[in-house]
Amino acid sequence: MAEESFLTDDFLRQLINVGEVDILVGLPTHNNAKTVGSIVHTIQTGILRGFPRERAVIINADGGSRDGTPELVTGASIDDVRPASNLYALRTLHSISTRYASSPASGGAFRTILAAAELLRAKACVVLSPEAANIEPEWLATFLRPIYRDDFDLVTPTYRRHKFDGLLITNLLYPMTRALYGIRIRESYSPEFGFSGRLATQFLAQNAWTDGTDGAGIELRFTLAAITGKFRICQSFLGEKIHIERRSADLVPALRQTVGALFSALEADFPVWSVVAGSEPAPVTGTDQGVLLGPLRVNRKRLREMFSAGVAELESVFQLILSPATLAELQQIARLEEEEFRYPAELWVRTVYEFAASYQKSVISRDHIVQALAPLFRGRVLTFLMEHRNASAEQVENSIEGLCLEFERLKPYLLQLWKLRE
Amino acid sequence: MPLNRDVLWYKDAIIYQVHVRTFRDSNGDGIGDFPGLSEKLDYLQELGVSAIWLMPFFPSPLRDDGYDISDYNAVHSSYGTLEDFRRLLGSAHDRGIRIVIELVANHTSDQHPWFQESRSSQANPRRDWYVWSDTDIRYKGARIIFLDTEKSNWAWDPISKSFYWHRFFSHQPDLNYDNPAVREQMWKVMQFWLEMGVDGFRLDAVPYLVEREDTNCENLPETHDVLKELRRKLEENYPGRMLLAEANQWPADLRPYFGEGDEFHMAFHFPLMPRMFMGLKLEDRKPITEILQQTPEIPSSCQWSLFLRNHDELTLEMVTDIERDYMYDSYAVSKMMRLNLGIRRRLAPLLDNDRRRIELMNGMLMSLPGTPIIYYGDEIGMGDNINLGDRNGVRTPMQWNGETNGGFSTAPADHLYAPLIQDPVYGYQAVNVLRQKASEHSLFNWMQRIIAVRRSTGAFGRGSIEFLYPANHRILAYVRRLANETILVVNNLSSTAQAVELDLSRYKATIPIEMFGRNMFPRVGDLPYLLTLGPYQFYWFRLRRI
Repeated sequence: MAEESFLTDDFLRQLINVGEVDILVGLPTHNNAKTVGSIVHTIQTGILRGFPRERAVIINADGGSRDGTPELVTGASIDDVRPASNLYALRTLHSISTRYASSPASGGAFRTILAAAELLRAKACVVLSPEAANIEPEWLATFLRPIYRDDFDLVTPTYRRHKFDGLLITNLLYPMTRALYGIRIRESYSPEFGFSGRLATQFLAQNAWTDGTDGAGIELRFTLAAITGKFRICQSFLGEKIHIERRSADLVPALRQTVGALFSALEADFPVWSVVAGSEPAPVTGTDQGVLLGPLRVNRKRLREMFSAGVAELESVFQLILSPATLAELQQIARLEEEEFRYPAELWVRTVYEFAASYQKSVISRDHIVQALAPLFRGRVLTFLMEHRNASAEQVENSIEGLCLEFERLKPYLLQLWKLRE
Repeated sequence: MPLNRDVLWYKDAIIYQVHVRTFRDSNGDGIGDFPGLSEKLDYLQELGVSAIWLMPFFPSPLRDDGYDISDYNAVHSSYGTLEDFRRLLGSAHDRGIRIVIELVANHTSDQHPWFQESRSSQANPRRDWYVWSDTDIRYKGARIIFLDTEKSNWAWDPISKSFYWHRFFSHQPDLNYDNPAVREQMWKVMQFWLEMGVDGFRLDAVPYLVEREDTNCENLPETHDVLKELRRKLEENYPGRMLLAEANQWPADLRPYFGEGDEFHMAFHFPLMPRMFMGLKLEDRKPITEILQQTPEIPSSCQWSLFLRNHDELTLEMVTDIERDYMYDSYAVSKMMRLNLGIRRRLAPLLDNDRRRIELMNGMLMSLPGTPIIYYGDEIGMGDNINLGDRNGVRTPMQWNGETNGGFSTAPADHLYAPLIQDPVYGYQAVNVLRQKASEHSLFNWMQRIIAVRRSTGAFGRGSIEFLYPANHRILAYVRRLANETILVVNNLSSTAQAVELDLSRYKATIPIEMFGRNMFPRVGDLPYLLTLGPYQFYWFRLRRI
């Protein structure tokens, strides 16, 4: 039996009133009343500056806010009944809202936005985070122009980050997706990105929305779908990465949404990534991202303790996931003193690949496999922090590049593990 | 059909704008004339118009299509005689059609005897009939209107060795309305034509009559004083005659031209027109409703005059820079189509000859608050010729049939005042009155029908308007009410089919009756009234309580 429509009648009615659009801005929210008003205003300014003639809409997919967030969004429509006090709009600029669920889920929000994009036949879309503290009107053009003008299908952001910010990205997601899928996309998992209507339609139709993952890591899956679908991808520089609050301050949920999504995609994408060798850069627009070098307080002792405890406590789990050689090396590292501690890139890559292969084999619960990676990742983080304590921006970038090349070099090892599985 | 004696006749009128030169040449000299126009009065009556606005027909060197008058009390010899004009007036009145003529009061031709006398010497009694200066630095606040041709509002006169003021072309010196003799003379001009029986004047360029230092020399109180004086004299001596203001201004600046019902009877709503085109292109009602929201109430005896196109360029003075750029890119891709701050094109080419859009625009013209003016030839979808200079591309001969010279004239083609439109789409062989009258579904016949439906109710000319603001912004919906009559108008500005839910709770239990086919639609109930409209479709419904 076909799934019933997940769009409410009221939302459909709103979409009918909006009609076909050129530009669609998706804004997933949950209790963002404090910031959403100014963010919507910034979005409107960006649309009116960059696309004054285009038909545009702001779609708010709300995950059950209780603070009046949706009302703030819809109240910001610019039309002949509600003219903007300080913005000039050539045409009506709708802001509409729907509650896709009573609790937030990025998959549900994104699915709603994609459905709206398809129904409104949007040409260029962007999803923005209500938590982006430094959002600028220019972001709209940054994301949308490459799609609207230059025919790209996906625009991922690049940021100016602190050298120790986004370590999951620099030490795993970026190098691994680059090595496997052959395209260098720095931020494949981001709350802000632009995409074409074509890509939205394809992803909406092909993605399994009822796989029980609640849409975890949907942003990453979307990027991977764009790669495997051979859509045109570029990256645009947004400036410094500042978010009001972390959606996933805890490591394990973050790993589920990112590494879990990546491992999960590998099975279906095997025909694609298995034949890729090397990698190509994705075009970048805007200034080079750069790195911030300010001091950062890190509890290295705690990181090392968590690594060592994890290696010890999860030995039986690791025996199922890792090769004996890899496990032995990890146990050896776990015994090192803090100052001597080093989790080398080659071993880290081997670890991750063995985790990926085990995930496919489902040697144990897949969720447990992802969770088991957490202490090992902490060990890798500790090494990265120690190695780059006094490193320059260039040295950090060189190191990340070295890790990426290691992932590419060892890719045959992953393929070998994969074949063993077969 | 006798003239209706209602002094507010202009509120219900359908006005047809025509230049006598363009309409019909009766003597084969290649130039339209009054006898030719008289011949075609039956056509205009058949179309359903109730008034004709005649563009300047006075003696003139014709350097600005007659807006450069050299004698106010005569008829240009090319167009016939005063007697011919009198005959036209009588024939039109016999058919219930009124005649409105031009009063180009702001300026004359530099060939006018008044100016010739004025420039002849500084001591001449008519010296002060024009605005003279020893320098060209006075009134710096006044903008230059014809930006493409004029560099200053002052021109050097080598005869009297001083500068004279002109807001338009330099061969059109402005009269000095600070001089009581000028004001009195202009009233005499009006009397001359009023005595003959003309029903009204379209006063050209009224904001510029008076100049004052440190102002923009537009809409000055002294200008309003001049106009009020003329209106008072008109009212005292010729009640029932009408004054129509040409003032290309924002609605708030236009409002004073109505005074307290003691200045102009009518004024063109210039800012609305480009916004109708803009709304259509944007497929969004916002530009239209916004300008109408900004339009102030006017005295009950007054009326807005609405138009889609006229003899001038589609003026974009009363739009923002963003809107102007959008209009240029949308409607005047070729630079040749642009003139001054406007677009010199006719209605049909502007709308890509799309019958649905032409009908929708005319539907709005006929149903928004005001008196509609139809520019000659637009009722058959005539085209333009952008290769002709200035605004002459929209002033080509009327296309009556597919025969020689489109039935306009028997003169050799190279003797015509302007070439006929000859291209395959808009040429006179394809677009002409004879052909359209023979076709039941022609634009002419459709125009005839919509005019008849418009005239079947007073609500469009005199009724109130209430916008409905449905959530679908592609739909422009409003209710026109007059006494017990309620009319619902729903316009789809979009190129695609649209669904719209209208809040008609105030009209619950009424039965919508579509005014063209007179078919009933479902009764208005408790729920929002759902309508679907095809691309560019519009409905006029009488809401009947039966």
